[in-house]
Amino acid sequence: MADTRHPITARRERLLLYLTVWLGFGTLLAAVIAFRGETAFGWAAVYAVPLAVLLGLQSLSCWYLVQVLPAEGTPLARLLGTWVGAGFVLLAIWVAAALGWAWLLRVSLPQALDDDVVNGLTPLLLFSGAAGLLVAVLGHYMLVAFERSTQAERRALELRVLARESELRSLREQLDPHFLFNSLNSVAALIGTDAQAARRMCFLMAGFFRKSLALGGKHSIALSEELSLAETFLAIEEVRFGERLRTRFDIAEDVLTLAVPPLVLQPLVENAVHHGVAHLIEGGEVMVRARQREGLLELLVENPCDPERPPSRGAGVGLQNVRSRINALFGNRASVDVKAEERNFRVSILLPASQARAG
Amino acid sequence: MRILIVDDESLARAYLAEQLSGMENMEVVGQAANGFEAVKLAEELSPDLMLLDVQMPKLSGFEVLELLAERAPAVVFITAHDEFALRAFEVHAVDYLMKPVEPARLLAALDRAMERLKAHVPTPSPRALAESARPPGRPLERVLIREGGRVHVLPVDKIDFVEAQDDYLSFASGGKRQRKQQTMAEIESQLDRSRFVRIHRSFLLNVERLARIEPYAKDSWLAVLADGTTRLPVSRTGYSRLKELIG
Repeated sequence: MADTRHPITARRERLLLYLTVWLGFGTLLAAVIAFRGETAFGWAAVYAVPLAVLLGLQSLSCWYLVQVLPAEGTPLARLLGTWVGAGFVLLAIWVAAALGWAWLLRVSLPQALDDDVVNGLTPLLLFSGAAGLLVAVLGHYMLVAFERSTQAERRALELRVLARESELRSLREQLDPHFLFNSLNSVAALIGTDAQAARRMCFLMAGFFRKSLALGGKHSIALSEELSLAETFLAIEEVRFGERLRTRFDIAEDVLTLAVPPLVLQPLVENAVHHGVAHLIEGGEVMVRARQREGLLELLVENPCDPERPPSRGAGVGLQNVRSRINALFGNRASVDVKAEERNFRVSILLPASQARAG
Repeated sequence: MRILIVDDESLARAYLAEQLSGMENMEVVGQAANGFEAVKLAEELSPDLMLLDVQMPKLSGFEVLELLAERAPAVVFITAHDEFALRAFEVHAVDYLMKPVEPARLLAALDRAMERLKAHVPTPSPRALAESARPPGRPLERVLIREGGRVHVLPVDKIDFVEAQDDYLSFASGGKRQRKQQTMAEIESQLDRSRFVRIHRSFLLNVERLARIEPYAKDSWLAVLADGTTRLPVSRTGYSRLKELIG
């Protein structure tokens, strides 16, 4: 049970609306009383309206039964039995109060109600009270269902946001430990032979980690930022792999300011190196292409691969992550297409092209 | 001590060579940039010790060791980060170094290697090592077979069946046979059990190649393969194993 407070009394505007409805009921009852006998409508209202409010307040207690007897999952016999019993008790209290109130009015204000009305009052009270209670019970069930569905909607939304955040977090945490340790090994190696290159490598690594940390918290970035991250990553790996790794960027001028989700290219470029080129003795070229056509931004990462490579651990995780994030963000307005050939691997992404916000 | 450096990254090789050049009694006799080269150089140069990178293209460090078998020199493994490999090293008391390699640790590992060489401590079984380095629940994906100086990589899904012949196993694949020195029990435990069934004392069958089973005699059957001509004997236990798997 999410909230034990009564959904009507918990909010003032709801309580007012609720009582207004019961005032309407009281007016109706007064009209019937006035119509049946000689009683003036005004006096009939003086009698009926307080009764309506009383029935309204009594009906609030329905909510507690609605909680323990949910419409779905309660056997029908038990549902009906309990409600008939409870309704009978509530009705009996109300009718007794109404008759008492009529007697009181007769005694204190003889001109208010005439005899005919008072004599035929009990069946009318029984009928109108039962009808009022029935409407109140059904109303409560509807209210609970409404509350549940809005709550479920809100929870689903929260879950989606949470899922996206955790995906991004895991993407950042996925920064390959291999990458870190191998890069440090390269630095250690370079210090002995080429101190300048070692220094440059330190700056590249600092730049890479700084950029990837900064991207993690954002929802959308300019493609130029994502490309800069990929370039830094590849520059580091080029130091490590030497001539075996070659890179080519084919980027159209007009796409640099377009918006992309952060870390949309990075996992693909990492895969291209670690699961593609790294398995080739002679190495190969990683190609990154970006261009715009027909209102879509097309991103493409392509690399050669070894036909005999063992199915590598974790190769699918990065790709799966990119795919599910793009799917959650754009639905069928975007697509991720993977073409795995024996000696070549290519991932192309189509996104709706929109300008990134500056800053 | 004569040392062979094996790493696919030239920087990493240069670094190790640089460190070793400053040490007494250490001679780098060769450098290999991949597993194939490593196997070739290890046999040609017979070094005392290999500094062997685990992750390399084509052949992993474990596979290099497996191919060299009893001709393998003493080994110190090098890895950047691989929890399964590290566990295997611990289990089999194999020396290893982590990247970036610290000179002091390198020196200590070389000292230990030297002591082991003097004491003639045998290198652990490469297959047992590779076995415990494989993530749990992950069957063998390829079989390495040496034929003279050549190394064949046989992906397991290309294997039709395996036949035991004396001390050897004969791997049948697309009508061809390749021989390897290994026991049936060992290969059976390495391959995917939902795919390879021991249908007979001497036969392990890739069930994807099975076309039908014919009765042959009392308590024996014949497995007819998809090529239509190959018939393999099926024993009583083999038959019930097949039944269990295919239903």
